[in-house]
Amino acid sequence: MLINPVEKDQKRISELELATGESISDCYQCGKCTAGCPASMDPAPSVLIQFLKLGQFELAKNAESIWSCMACLTCSERCPKNVSPAAIIEGLKNLHLRDMDPRVNLETMSRDFLAHSPQMAIISGFRKFI
Amino acid sequence: MSEKTVRVPYYPGCTMKTKALGFERSAMDCAEVIGFEMDELKDWNCCGASYPLTKDNLMGLTAPTNILVEAERRCQKEEVDPNLLTLCVFCYNTLKRTEFAFGQDEKKLETINAFLDRKYEGSIRVIHYLEYLRDVIGFDNLAKMVKTDMSKYKVAPYYGCLLLKPQKEIGLDDPEDPVILHNFLDALGCKVIDFPAQVDCCGSYLVMREPEKVSKLSYDILADANEYGAETLVTACPLCQSNLDQSQGDKVQFADLDGMPVLYFTQLLAIAFGLDTKTHLLEEHHIDPRPLFEASGSSDGESK
Ligand code: SF4
Ligand code: SF4
Repeated sequence: MLINPVEKDQKRISELELATGESISDCYQCGKCTAGCPASMDPAPSVLIQFLKLGQFELAKNAESIWSCMACLTCSERCPKNVSPAAIIEGLKNLHLRDMDPRVNLETMSRDFLAHSPQMAIISGFRKFI
Repeated sequence: MSEKTVRVPYYPGCTMKTKALGFERSAMDCAEVIGFEMDELKDWNCCGASYPLTKDNLMGLTAPTNILVEAERRCQKEEVDPNLLTLCVFCYNTLKRTEFAFGQDEKKLETINAFLDRKYEGSIRVIHYLEYLRDVIGFDNLAKMVKTDMSKYKVAPYYGCLLLKPQKEIGLDDPEDPVILHNFLDALGCKVIDFPAQVDCCGSYLVMREPEKVSKLSYDILADANEYGAETLVTACPLCQSNLDQSQGDKVQFADLDGMPVLYFTQLLAIAFGLDTKTHLLEEHHIDPRPLFEASGSSDGESK
């Protein structure tokens, strides 16, 4: 159950749940996802979900830490409540990307990176950041 | 080795044709010794590299579905088992999860088929080269084909993330305590170095945006392997290989650690088979693995 959600945010949280296929209320805030997250995210995955549980949609959406998730799926694999924090984070990122708000700039991207990285790094990066 | 060569439909993916050519070439040469042929699909596209994590992103399933259709047609036409072999862990993960998604949700498959105007029937089983070695060839049989004495090499099996997760969908091995690479190395006769960081993330595509973080994560993994006595690491993932290997160019982060070569498991297999590894591009790795293996003579071709 969401605590004191602002009405507008409640709607956007429901939309996020629909888009990701995740149920925010299932999370019981044990913190296991955060404990295993290698990305040193701040706010951490469980805190991002806590924001959503509290109805603070903008806090979660605009958290800079969502861009540091590397989709390693450790959190999703370990969650005792079958929640996928990685999917929720990707859902939040998608809201920015679909609003044409990319997080890497192709113009200034290092040529060295493009020349030396395996294709999967470049393609995944495009999918996650542009 | 065997009387009749089995042809297995194979999807390479983009990286295998560019940055990981040595991975593909060594895998193909080893397959020949083992007795199967990696039969590349004639018409293939990029799989999209990362499987979409959100349910609404159906678009991300179109690219892998195109590949599965191609494989299905090939298998039906040639009347071979509906397996699709992969080497790249990103491709494996993306294709395998697509296979799983369609198995769970027929409506999804109908939607994608309608959009692509193609008809995928859902028959293909995506397999990884390692899985083929374990389940079809058998590690016991593999062990009999080894020509080089590998017992002096201390090798750490590094799994990373996408070869194993999500377990429910990939089902290859236990994501927290995997054994497949351990058993592979055992079959080769290497000294297997079990180390805690074997399933830690190398930073993946974050290398595009936060390379310093990738350096740090790679350092933690390599320092851990080093502490447990490893001389070299093997992996099945070209992005893990690149991150762990290239990060070692960061002299500040890696100040207290000697260079540790990071090999594709098939490059090591080729050495174990005593093959000529000249075309396997060992020299393209940032940390050159050749000095470590030179003693066995495997870089100069046949060893006895
Ligand atoms: S592990 Fe699952 S239940 Fe626990 S805090 Fe994370 S998302 Fe919530
Ligand atoms: S998927 Fe993202 S949030 Fe989850 S453990 Fe990995 S880096 Fe952390």
